[in-house]
Amino acid sequence: MQDMAVFDEDLLNMLKTITDEGFRNAAEGFSVMVGHKIEVGNPNLELVPLLTISSMVGGIEDDAVGVYLRFEGDMPGQIMMVIPYQKALELSDLLMGITPGSTQTLGMMERSALGELGNLCGSFFLNSIAKTVGASFRPSPPAVMVDMVGAILDVVVATVGGVSEHVLLVHANFREGTRSVETDFWVIPDMKALRDLALKKRSDEQSD
Amino acid sequence: MNNLISLGLGEQAVSRNLQDVLVVYGLGSCLGICMIDPQARVAGLLHAVLPERSNGLEADSAAHPSKYVDRGIQSLLAEMLKEGAIKSRIIIRMAGGANMLISPAMTSAFDIGTRNIEKARETLRQLNMKIAAEEVGGHKGRTVRVYVADNRVTVKLVGEKEHDL
Repeated sequence: MQDMAVFDEDLLNMLKTITDEGFRNAAEGFSVMVGHKIEVGNPNLELVPLLTISSMVGGIEDDAVGVYLRFEGDMPGQIMMVIPYQKALELSDLLMGITPGSTQTLGMMERSALGELGNLCGSFFLNSIAKTVGASFRPSPPAVMVDMVGAILDVVVATVGGVSEHVLLVHANFREGTRSVETDFWVIPDMKALRDLALKKRSDEQSD
Repeated sequence: MNNLISLGLGEQAVSRNLQDVLVVYGLGSCLGICMIDPQARVAGLLHAVLPERSNGLEADSAAHPSKYVDRGIQSLLAEMLKEGAIKSRIIIRMAGGANMLISPAMTSAFDIGTRNIEKARETLRQLNMKIAAEEVGGHKGRTVRVYVADNRVTVKLVGEKEHDL
């Protein structure tokens, strides 16, 4: 598969460092915004086949929340934050600093909070890549959807255009005090552009 | 006892087994196209992802014809005929093709759902086949089931009950 050939251990390690920094910055940014401390545990990044990611969120027909960003520039691509519906209610409580179990449905306010979290994580992740490889990106505003996992997956599949592609799966754990909620991010960069940027960075380092 | 046959992205299935229920879970912009010949008791379902192949994807298209609406419809029809269906008797129903992104910045440019629906109508028109019923578009995901035993097709939206199409 073409996209698999793009990745090697060096590139994945570089992306892991970028992910760690990006998500930590996002948590700090979000803490400032909501006025209470939110942390993110060491986010885990792996390369997984696109067709397997829906099963990691639950059943393909299960309700979930997706927050979608597209980005354009030196390395076009897309990011989808996806979280099972029940977990999204818990995450909403956590983000808004209210008693666990308070959020029963996702209204405008709750969707907006989840959208902003996805937006910040995606944007900080991209900023970290930009800083590391010297590229520039323009992220779109976040689109929030509450639907079946399969329907959320369709957004990514339709845009990628292939059913045999791979996705970078970032598993992040958001914490506030003693409570925590796990969230997945599907990151789909333009694989060739990502590889080119990584190679450029390596050659810059070698010539220094 | 029903025998559920779940179709993944870009897959199709045709059945004559009355116990079988063909199902596509959580269709977003994808399209579920169902063909039934009630007399021959043959039913088929297609889970198409994209309207048509892009340039440079010939190999992919040959390997996964059901991934594309245009080739998928032809492929499903061919399999139906092989299983004993007669083209003029085939009843077509389709569901899906939603536009999941309702953000103003993305709505029109990435509306694969609408393009899938248009391609399905065009392809079926060219094949001189009519659509008996459809539930397409909108902004919600759908699960489609085809009950081979009684030629029934149902649609289920998130948080709602299954209903006949």
